[in-house]
Amino acid sequence: MKHITKVYGSLYANNDVHLTLDKGEILAVVGENGAGKSTLMKILYGLEQPTSGKIYLNGQLQHFRSPHDAINQKIGMVQQHFMLLNPCTVAENIVYGREPRKGLFFDREEAVRVTEALCEKYGLHIDPRRLVGDCPVGLQQRVEILKVLYQDADIIIFDEPSAVLTPQEVNELLRTMRKLAEMGKSIIIITHKLHEVMAVADRVMVMRLGRYIQEMAKTETSIEEMSYLMVGRRIVERQVPPRKPTGRVLEVQDLVLAGSEAKNILDHFSIHVDGGEIVGIAGVSGNGQSELIQCLTGLLQPTSGKVMLKGQDVAGKSVGDIRTAGCACIPEDRYLWGCAARASLTETAIMAHQRSSKISRNGLLNNKGARDFTQSLLDGYDVRNSGQTQKAGELSGGNIQKLIVAREIEQHSPLLIAAEPTRGVDIGAMEFIHNKLLEKREQGDAVLLISSELTEIMSLSDRIYVIYEGRAVGEFRKADATEEDLGILMMGGKLNEAVS
Amino acid sequence: MSSAYIASIINSTLRSTTPILLAALGSAICSRVGVFNVALEAQMLIGCFFSIAVNYATGSLLLAVGAGILSGALVGLVVALLQVKYKAADMVIGTSLNLLVQGGTTFLLYLLFGLRGVLNDPKLVPLYKINLPVIRDIPFLGRVLENLTILDYICYIVAALLFVWLFKTVSGFHILSVGINKAAAESLGTKATRIQMQMVVLSGALCGLGGTALSMGQVTMFTENMTSGRGFIAMAAASLGMSHPLLTIFSSLFFGLCQGIGLALQNVIKSQLTMTLPYVATIVALVLFSRRSARRQA
Repeated sequence: MKHITKVYGSLYANNDVHLTLDKGEILAVVGENGAGKSTLMKILYGLEQPTSGKIYLNGQLQHFRSPHDAINQKIGMVQQHFMLLNPCTVAENIVYGREPRKGLFFDREEAVRVTEALCEKYGLHIDPRRLVGDCPVGLQQRVEILKVLYQDADIIIFDEPSAVLTPQEVNELLRTMRKLAEMGKSIIIITHKLHEVMAVADRVMVMRLGRYIQEMAKTETSIEEMSYLMVGRRIVERQVPPRKPTGRVLEVQDLVLAGSEAKNILDHFSIHVDGGEIVGIAGVSGNGQSELIQCLTGLLQPTSGKVMLKGQDVAGKSVGDIRTAGCACIPEDRYLWGCAARASLTETAIMAHQRSSKISRNGLLNNKGARDFTQSLLDGYDVRNSGQTQKAGELSGGNIQKLIVAREIEQHSPLLIAAEPTRGVDIGAMEFIHNKLLEKREQGDAVLLISSELTEIMSLSDRIYVIYEGRAVGEFRKADATEEDLGILMMGGKLNEAVS
Repeated sequence: MSSAYIASIINSTLRSTTPILLAALGSAICSRVGVFNVALEAQMLIGCFFSIAVNYATGSLLLAVGAGILSGALVGLVVALLQVKYKAADMVIGTSLNLLVQGGTTFLLYLLFGLRGVLNDPKLVPLYKINLPVIRDIPFLGRVLENLTILDYICYIVAALLFVWLFKTVSGFHILSVGINKAAAESLGTKATRIQMQMVVLSGALCGLGGTALSMGQVTMFTENMTSGRGFIAMAAASLGMSHPLLTIFSSLFFGLCQGIGLALQNVIKSQLTMTLPYVATIVALVLFSRRSARRQA
């Protein structure tokens, strides 16, 4: 790809970017969110057309008007958000677009046989008759990979492939990628996880703000150099000094939330969080984390169990009562729970602050107070905006998240629940939010951190619980926790030795 | 109740089912590709009108049926353009088309023929009534199948063909995939929006044929707003049949039965009351069904 430029409005998503790929090579394209990696890949896969620039494949000029053209030229893409038909079988998903036929009809038996042969050839095993919706995420990704292989792709693009996987699944995926490269496939992996780059790539290309920055062989670079090039400045390795807890803030005892079937969504879940500590809850998404947050904040009524907040049982109380009792929450989905996309920044900032004396008196809003308060949040938390009347939905993901974090931290509540506080934000914003959470801890408040990013949990938490199928299956002090142990528990495995 | 009476109820059930089934299949195929088509009523009514209008003007059955199908498909095309291509709100498009066609057909009736409300003329050619030679003489069955038109048979064939197409062929698989996950279908090179538009036009054609079955079936005439809510009943039938062509046959037969019973009871109870039966049944059926599926989900 030569001189690729893509302009959206006045924004240069890609600005004169070059990319080369050799046969049997794994190229990692790294950069922060918004660096233009995904745009570049969309252009290569025909999902977007470049404003200018040319693509050559084996020396020949190509014009990809749609993914169909790219697929025909043996380029395949494993999307970050899976493009699967959940109610259909694995085999049906894999053969889609090039189905075996018998006369006029779709030959589903042949599809199963073809799938089995394909699995055999690449050593990726999966039951072709299983419904995709019943498969765990790791297997769904395998379906995506097999789909691309079935289309006979020689170039395979992986877009943030490890975002949804557990450490074990990531290792499995990296092995698969190596194996495919050995079989002569050329692979591009887009990622911002640098240890994966070090584990698998042959060559690394760094992008920043839509520009091509540099490329180097993996053997000639280091994680430090890459992160420096990605961010444009040095990121300091975080050292968190230990701190003595200041007494119990939250104690969850035997919390049960019954599900539709015999299984409980939350199954006698017990944890505690002290003041001055950050407690992480690690787990694969969908093991009851969302329900736990909703039970703790009052959005869901637990079936039984106690939620003691500063010695007061708040289980089953209303959201307002729980907030008054001393709980703030950075919700996991900022657009669903965290803000109203069409509300102004002022409105977004004063949500849950509306009864404070600065902002309202006798049920009437004090607009000046609200604006001053909002401005203090916007300035204090480095939220880039074009004025308070801007709509929340118009801010970038990182900036709206910073505003929500600001709003919740400024509650100065004894307990802060931080759910996926840095999901989908860039390294700069992530660092900022992490610092704010640590400041909160320094003030002697309790932070419950729920995240599917293991590195985030491990770098911030004083103690870590693992949640699996609604149960707390392990508790670690920071010093004792290893990524491997956590990963095994997250997958429902058992550790040989008991951990305290 | 005499067996002849029962046979006549079944007979009238079959006749009432035909328009509902054809329109319900149209509705089913729209929801299978993820389009909420509210304009079924309009697609049917325009079919009623143009089949009779062309019948009156030309005396040709083939042209009349063709006009019914084509006019329905044209309304479907409007829905496809506005709702699928330009993403206008489904309820607004559906409701305004329903009202537009209701007023428009009444207006055209006056404009073209100078008639108010009804077009009923001895010049109109009725569809052939099929009375099979041997079956005609079997006592009960003969009465059940008496005087059915070819459309009363064709609608079941259409349902079966639709089933085979959707669930057994590759193109059917692609059509279903659009409704399951449009983005996924597009990422694999399926032209999802085009398929959605095609299916909406097809639903228009099916509804238009349903309208033809209504105006040229039991009677051969057009009256103002003669579909009187059958498009909505068809939506209920498709939803009860889980948008599956074969199950939709049974749900449509149920609503046909309600109309048949309503007609049969006309002489016993006040007709204004009996005519509400299909609509009451629609509401009851939807409530029962949604409660059941809600329980299944909970």
